[in-house]
Amino acid sequence: MSSFYSLPLPTLIIATALISVGFCWFGGIFFRPILRIFVEGRDTGNEIVGYILSCFGVFYGLLLGLIAVASYQNLEEVEDNVAREVAALDALYQDVTTYPAPHGQNLRWLLRDYCRYVFKYAWDDYSKAEIPAGEQTRITAFHERLLAFEPETETQKIVHAETIRQFSDFLESHRVRESSITTGIPVVMWYVVLVGAILNIVLVWLFDMRLITQLFLGGILAFFLGTMILLIGVMDRPFQGAVSVSSKPFEILYWSKMRD
Amino acid sequence: MQRPTPITPLTGTTDPDQPMSRRRFLARGGAAAIGASGTLAGLGCRREEEPEPIKVGILHSQTGTMAISETSLRDMELFAIEEINAAGGVLGRMLDPVVKDTRSRFDDLFPKRARELLVDEKVDVVFGCWTSSSRKAVQPVFEQHGGLLFYPLQYEGNECSPNIVYTGSLPNQQVLPAVDWLRSLSGGAKRRFFLVGSDYVFPWTLDHVIGTHLEATYPDTEIVGRAYRPFGHRDFETVVGEIVASGADVVINAINGDSNLHFYNELARQEVRASDIPVLATSIGEDELRGLLPEVVEGHLAAWNYFQSIETDRNHRFIEAFQKEHGEDRVISDPMESAYAAVYLWKIAAELAGRPDPVSVRAALAKNIQFEAPGGLISIDPRNQHAKKRCRVGRIRSDRQFDIVYEAPRMLTPDPFPQASFPGWRCDWTRGGLTEGAAVDVRP
Repeated sequence: MSSFYSLPLPTLIIATALISVGFCWFGGIFFRPILRIFVEGRDTGNEIVGYILSCFGVFYGLLLGLIAVASYQNLEEVEDNVAREVAALDALYQDVTTYPAPHGQNLRWLLRDYCRYVFKYAWDDYSKAEIPAGEQTRITAFHERLLAFEPETETQKIVHAETIRQFSDFLESHRVRESSITTGIPVVMWYVVLVGAILNIVLVWLFDMRLITQLFLGGILAFFLGTMILLIGVMDRPFQGAVSVSSKPFEILYWSKMRD
Repeated sequence: MQRPTPITPLTGTTDPDQPMSRRRFLARGGAAAIGASGTLAGLGCRREEEPEPIKVGILHSQTGTMAISETSLRDMELFAIEEINAAGGVLGRMLDPVVKDTRSRFDDLFPKRARELLVDEKVDVVFGCWTSSSRKAVQPVFEQHGGLLFYPLQYEGNECSPNIVYTGSLPNQQVLPAVDWLRSLSGGAKRRFFLVGSDYVFPWTLDHVIGTHLEATYPDTEIVGRAYRPFGHRDFETVVGEIVASGADVVINAINGDSNLHFYNELARQEVRASDIPVLATSIGEDELRGLLPEVVEGHLAAWNYFQSIETDRNHRFIEAFQKEHGEDRVISDPMESAYAAVYLWKIAAELAGRPDPVSVRAALAKNIQFEAPGGLISIDPRNQHAKKRCRVGRIRSDRQFDIVYEAPRMLTPDPFPQASFPGWRCDWTRGGLTEGAAVDVRP
């Protein structure tokens, strides 16, 4: 699966077109004569196949459309989660700025380290669907240092309590984002999608028409089905492949706000 | 009448009037598919084979009491690795850092993580450790598995392992020249020394080395007191009380980690001023000073080989590059510079050897490896795999930087076994290795 996501988008587009159209043409040439035996000898053969194909197409089209929309929404949701975590990190960074020296500097430094690590090292691991240990280490280091601070004045106590609350928000956003690293469409759903596509093409083979027409129309349908499946595939894993969530929000935060 | 089928010439030309037969269609389709596959292969698979990266281990405590110190070493080692990768890597291969957190647990997690790096991750080299306890805990692991550890800290000596390259300084390159300076007029002609430290092997051995050195060189000096406290200790009221009561005129501080915050704060609370009883630290650098208020530490001393305030172009470029990447307020200390130099010394040795494995690199280390580090030239003594370095003493300023008040006139040759302290002990890997002498108990 990881090799699928490591391929560039143009290669994936060409590969999908070749595989889907190639499959349709191959079956059209070699299997069609055998399959047509089932509907041969009736004038209404094409009509029957047409009814079945349109009926099946509605359900399959719905399924494909819904999955494509769900994949897109999932991708957007993960983008939102990233933005939410960056916002929480930014707010936390601002909160610890108000701590007395040297605690404030130490805490800022730890958050900066976390932010840099995320876009410099962790994002590469996400693209392999791995959760790097370095993130948790950095969060623990910050948490330890935050709890080691002992507020002395009433103002410090209020700020410290607010920072701990802000840290909880940040942690929640982080956990939500972390859980989306390995999310994806379940295997059984992929099974349904692929079997549905194959059945669509098989139904096209049953039509009684000239070979060249069969190949042309079947090829168009197969190309479209392949493109739809590719669309779902590239959006399925939010941190992998050509269409994936970017680390840019972390980079922007680091370079524009965190370097003092 | 049906027309005879024309013979298709081998060149592949066809009769345009002839309708396409299934066989011909298949032949053409196949050719087209092969052509398309070729295009696909050209687009997707024409990537040059990248050579396998060289795995390097980083072994530091990123959480726990030592995190304040060790995370900076990790940052500096990663910074050096990023620089090397940006310049093309080592032997044409990128460096792939594998970082392990040892959580300030010297006895169990340090050896466990070291074993993971050597056995599971199969790294070619490890940069790591801060405390001597951690180094001593991992030493048998490196010797058992034939690994190579670059240890960047100053330490107590009394050790020489073929599997460790020591890029920090030894007492004869750090504390003893600083003690000599303190005894001199410019250093205040101090005579009454108080030794304070964390309760482990580095401060104990330092105590022994300083004691034997003073005894052998300055018979009119006296160690008026000692205090050793566990890691993470916070209450220094009694210790500072003892310092004041002892009439000490200088304190040698070998406390490690967070405890330094509480020690210096307590000194300030009991109004022990640097002008009256200066504290010479062996483990407090610019990075540790970030955790201390300037008014608490100003005027006290530290002995190191590198200070951020060294005025050279090389040092300025180094500081600028690091701060550009990690933030303008980041500071660089001696162990950080040593950790940076360690990565480059290994790179030079690996390139000289033509291979990155520990055996080849160790063989190359015998060829007098040198690196122009930010603090000046650094080279590895092939006899004992320790670095030749220059001693400097700095006085803490209000901006948490140091004024350099003493600088050794030349590079000092490392001596892990000063004969006054460890009679009979010698280390020379070019001639027979380790010679054992009389047993020495360093525990005070």
